Amino acid sequence: MKIKKGPASIIFNIISYTLLTLGSIGCVIPFIMILSGSFTDNKTILTKGYSLLPRDVTISAYQTIFKAPQDILQAYKMTFFYTGVGTAIGLMMITMTAYVISRKEFKYRNTVSFLIYFTSIFGGGTIPWYLMYSSVLGLKGSTLAIWFPALMSPFLVILMRTFIVGSVPDAITESAKIDGAGHVTIFSRIVMPVLGPGLATIGLFLALGYWNDWYRSSMFSTDSTTWELQFYLYDLLNASTAIKQMSQNIGIVTGDLPTQSVKLAMAVVSTGPVLLFYPFVQKYFVSGITVGAVKG
Amino acid sequence: MKEVGLSRADVSAKDKAKGSGLVERLNAQVAGRKLGILLSMAASAITLLTMLPLFNWFKIVNGYKLVKKLKVAADEVAKLKGGYSVFNMLSFVQHSGAGILGLFAMMMLILACACLYFQIVYIVKGALNKTDKKGYLGIYGAGEAAMLFGVLTGCVALIFAAFAKKNLGLEAIRPTVFVYLVIAVSVIGYVIVKNMQVAERRIYHEHGLLMEIKKNWVLFLMLVPTFVYFLINNYLPMAGVYYAFTQFNFRDGLWASPFVGFKNFEYLVSADLFRLTRNTVLYNVVFILLGNALQIVFAILVSQITVKWFKKSAQTLMFMPYFVSFVILKVIIYNIFEYQYGVINTLITSLGGERIDFYNTPLYWPFLITIFFIWKNIGYGMVVYLATIMGIDAELYDAAKVDGANIFQQIRFITLPQLKPTFIILLLYALGGIMKGQFELFYQMIGNNGVLYNITDILDTYVYRIAMTQPLSIGLGTAAGLYQSVFGFVLIVVTNWVVKRKNAEYALF
Amino acid sequence: MKNGKKLLSLLMAGTMAAAAVGCSGSSNEDTYAPATEEAAEDAAEDAAEDAAEEEAADETADEAEDAGEAAEAQELDTSEHVDLVFYVMGDAPEDEQVVEDAINEKLNEKLNCSIDFQFSTWTDFQQKYSLELTSGGADLIYVANWLNFGRLAKSGAFLELDDILDTYCTDLRDLIGEERLNMCSVDGSVYAIPNTWPEYVSSGITYREDLRKQFDLPVPDSIENFEAYMKGIKDNMPDQPILAATTEESQGLQVAFDAAWALNLKYPWVTINGLPYGLAANYDTPEDVTDYWFSDDFVEDMKTMKRWADYGFWSKSALSDTNDSEAYKNGLCVAIPQGQNPAKYVSGVKDFEDAGQGWETAYLAYGEVTGVIYPGHATQNATSIVRGCKNPERALAVVQYFMTDEEMNRLVQCGIEGTHYTLADGDLYEAVPDTKFAYEGFSTWNLRNGDFKLMTENDALQNEMFDKLEKIGEKTKFPNTDIYSGFTEDYEAYSAERTAVSNVMRQYLAPLQAGLVDDVDAAVEEFRTKVTEAGLEKVREGFTSQWIAYCDEYGYK
Repeated sequence: MKIKKGPASIIFNIISYTLLTLGSIGCVIPFIMILSGSFTDNKTILTKGYSLLPRDVTISAYQTIFKAPQDILQAYKMTFFYTGVGTAIGLMMITMTAYVISRKEFKYRNTVSFLIYFTSIFGGGTIPWYLMYSSVLGLKGSTLAIWFPALMSPFLVILMRTFIVGSVPDAITESAKIDGAGHVTIFSRIVMPVLGPGLATIGLFLALGYWNDWYRSSMFSTDSTTWELQFYLYDLLNASTAIKQMSQNIGIVTGDLPTQSVKLAMAVVSTGPVLLFYPFVQKYFVSGITVGAVKG
Repeated sequence: MKEVGLSRADVSAKDKAKGSGLVERLNAQVAGRKLGILLSMAASAITLLTMLPLFNWFKIVNGYKLVKKLKVAADEVAKLKGGYSVFNMLSFVQHSGAGILGLFAMMMLILACACLYFQIVYIVKGALNKTDKKGYLGIYGAGEAAMLFGVLTGCVALIFAAFAKKNLGLEAIRPTVFVYLVIAVSVIGYVIVKNMQVAERRIYHEHGLLMEIKKNWVLFLMLVPTFVYFLINNYLPMAGVYYAFTQFNFRDGLWASPFVGFKNFEYLVSADLFRLTRNTVLYNVVFILLGNALQIVFAILVSQITVKWFKKSAQTLMFMPYFVSFVILKVIIYNIFEYQYGVINTLITSLGGERIDFYNTPLYWPFLITIFFIWKNIGYGMVVYLATIMGIDAELYDAAKVDGANIFQQIRFITLPQLKPTFIILLLYALGGIMKGQFELFYQMIGNNGVLYNITDILDTYVYRIAMTQPLSIGLGTAAGLYQSVFGFVLIVVTNWVVKRKNAEYALF
Repeated sequence: MKNGKKLLSLLMAGTMAAAAVGCSGSSNEDTYAPATEEAAEDAAEDAAEDAAEEEAADETADEAEDAGEAAEAQELDTSEHVDLVFYVMGDAPEDEQVVEDAINEKLNEKLNCSIDFQFSTWTDFQQKYSLELTSGGADLIYVANWLNFGRLAKSGAFLELDDILDTYCTDLRDLIGEERLNMCSVDGSVYAIPNTWPEYVSSGITYREDLRKQFDLPVPDSIENFEAYMKGIKDNMPDQPILAATTEESQGLQVAFDAAWALNLKYPWVTINGLPYGLAANYDTPEDVTDYWFSDDFVEDMKTMKRWADYGFWSKSALSDTNDSEAYKNGLCVAIPQGQNPAKYVSGVKDFEDAGQGWETAYLAYGEVTGVIYPGHATQNATSIVRGCKNPERALAVVQYFMTDEEMNRLVQCGIEGTHYTLADGDLYEAVPDTKFAYEGFSTWNLRNGDFKLMTENDALQNEMFDKLEKIGEKTKFPNTDIYSGFTEDYEAYSAERTAVSNVMRQYLAPLQAGLVDDVDAAVEEFRTKVTEAGLEKVREGFTSQWIAYCDEYGYK
């Protein structure tokens, strides 16, 4: 969109560039500290603290992480799998549901919305949830138990409903109906194509959820070949704390524990792909402009 | 009234044509009301009456054997009465130690309360005898629910007795005549109401669930996966709230552990619940309001930037904190705020100032926690607003520009109003979880520093500490979760009601 | 609104009903079955029965169908193949499958069964441990006092083992010995099989011997000497941090700040840091419980801590510090008074050797000063059978095989000889380079058999230490007995007060022990008031009566 250069625009531009620059710096500094810390010798971090530029540069932290590259690659592979499958199926289910509860002619749309929303405030807790998957369904150890539980969230369904209501005017669907289009046609030909930003947003949220998850691996994996990347890294960290805690009670040899710089390198390794991926998603937010055009 | 009269005549005509005299008779006016409604209201009244605590639905038989069998402690025996109404069966469970019956008795209690509610609703509606644009359908709907719940409650009571017999190995709990009475009158009432309802529906071209499924089967089909998902992931595990009323032990297992009533909740109340609730709610309110405000501001700023690379990088950079795990954040924060070597104190002393003792001064922490919360979530939260802004019709801006509106006016009169629905949805959504969440943020930033607890302790961190010192605190944890849920639920129902009154479009449900 | 309410009631009712059907199915096997079986038996006999009969009925029901027939037969019926799951702590070794296959080959042959090791991983292991017990997925499980063995056994998480031990696994019973089995019994029944390799985990102070020598400082064998040691280093090296004290090792109900562990130099308490809730009893007179928090000693000790804080022995922000176990290794502190033990000392020696900076570490157990030394309790590392286990006899037979057969024991503990380790000089364990199965790779510390345990390089130094400690331990009133760890507190009756006391400790005792208060006397007063308000009396009463009963029962007088 073009903005005319009036005095107000100039003031606005000054404000926005300043604020955004400050905001970006504030957000990126700790991250740079992490990045440089991951390249700093562990002892230097412990004795001198964090810094913006790496001191005593070394890549030993990364060497430690990639010492067993097949393990971490397997974890990457699984995470890509969970993220891909989960996001694709989840997005499909969320969009369908959101479409249904956005239809005025659907008598029970309020009931269904409420039933979905209700799950976000009311739950039975972890234990019955865990027993449901492990004992009742017997899914412990299977990959299904890792991606299935995060397919949908009430928040995303309701968000998607708002997007649909906002971007697909009733008039269009009504006229399509008069032309004899069924729900399947309306959904796939009219609704889906104009949902660009909505799909990108919800898809991003879903994918991030999958990418950042470690809890389900922790709960349901019985074999390290099914671990998510975050859990692979997280467990390395936890091993050090836990062994420290209990070696007070029993004499066990603690072995090589991850050092501070390894922890930081892990943060970089797990975040990197997402940050590279994010700009591509952004593109679809911009495509939202076309939605406006369709509306007009 | 005239309209109603007409439709009644209409019905009678139709029914006569079909040769059904029953509906006609039921529709006959008695004392200003339809006979059928009066009859079924009588059924409701009977059900309601028998549910009064002075009517025992259950009778304890074989009392001596039962006491022996359950090994009830001597002082508890006195508390076991000879008979029980539908409401206080749980106290039998509690005093007898027969925990396995607890879940069942609990379900029965919930059912009984629902039943009570529907009977009253029906009687009130029937007594008012008010019709709306769909005629008597509203009343019939209430009647149908009331009768169904009457039957259900009665049947569950019967099943409960049978289950208790099987479980205890002897006939100890016998249903009394009232149970059969309730079932009988409710079934009769149901038949009456249903007959009248079917007739009434024909007039208004209304249809029931089956018709709806037949008509919109595609939509229902689209909901099937969602239904399965929420059933498995959320609804079935909800039965676990029952644990909140038990004291777990492994010998009896999850469902058969002793039922202890509200003991776990009493425990929570004694744990300074007020302070914890206050802290949790206040922090969350600040997080929600301030967080959303800043996310909107930055989303607008980003959307107005025309330089492409700057726009993209600002957006990406602000997204980065989301990926900094709390474990690492904690270390960074400690490095910044430590007393002796921390970044800030080093800076202050080099400028000749006095060191600030952050970690022993509670006052700083609400601000620090809020700042880091916003810092971490700003990029993530921006996404929704940004996508919404991008979806705003560009013509609106063009028109405004033609009218000579400057950029601030455009934001004020176009962007902000367009963001309102999204904001309200996010707000309503966040309110439901106002008693939960952000455990990691608090736990990692404060840790075990008791000096800061007074002002930084939230319910989640408190419950976590209990769980750490008590390995078998399943009941307590569930009770805390239930409290959070109910609190959020009440809040959300109230807020939604307010929103709905102002603008039904924005309401969640 | 109206809709919402109606729905809520509908919903609650509906889900509860559905869930009861769905979930009772799952719990049927472990909870319903014994109850109904018991019921059936009852009906057949008659209602009148005494306690003993009841108990017998309990057990037969618990041990499922085959227990009945097997009562006469001493030989275990292995005609049917069973698969067992052994839940252990920690992470899986890389060669888990290889070693498991080797084990299963032997197991299959001898006991017609196979075993699958499942690992807790170290993430959220406490939570997952109790979930595992709740869901009953495992047959055999690692238990330990730090995993709340006593509380769990009391609550019925494990199967009683007495009968199976006497009927089928007499070898195992004889190997462990009655004394150690007794230590693993709760309310009269044995619930766990301990290992047969008692180790000394006596707490103490680890300190920098090289610095001590360099500045000619005293060995920290008393509060005064410890202070002199730290002060001496602080004076000579002003920039050197002294203690990396935090609250991490001190989250129980005994002590609230790590540096306060040093007070153990002063008191011959029955257990490290004294009894919970500010009570104390000396090792020689465990029944004689005294009040520490309200004593003058306590005020004096807190003044010591304040003095240390003022000397700058630890950071003013210590309460929020994230203690890094690497601090000592990297020279960020010169002593550790909290959570040390001989094994840690031994690995510390190795760390300093590897670093090659000429640093030297030394270790002084508190017991060397106070004379109170005992080896770890039997429940420190043990194996139990989960209550839901379908084949408890077979499971215990597997444990017996693991522990009594030398070849099998080595296989489980060290992997395959030649592939994972080699033996130097006959008996010294040496891992092959980049071994895929480390020493005790399955984390089965519970299966250690002192007779078969292969010595590692570190063990020599550790054994030396153990010998020294054992000699001291023999001279105590109850030779080589860990009195406190055998005690299981049942705090159900006062759990609310207990939590309140624990919170007051975090809020008021921690700053006091960290010396972060201006006026010690006033702060002590405040702490005492707050902790009394929290219900200290009730908690102490409850604890003391149980503790004395325990001492009476085991004759610790």
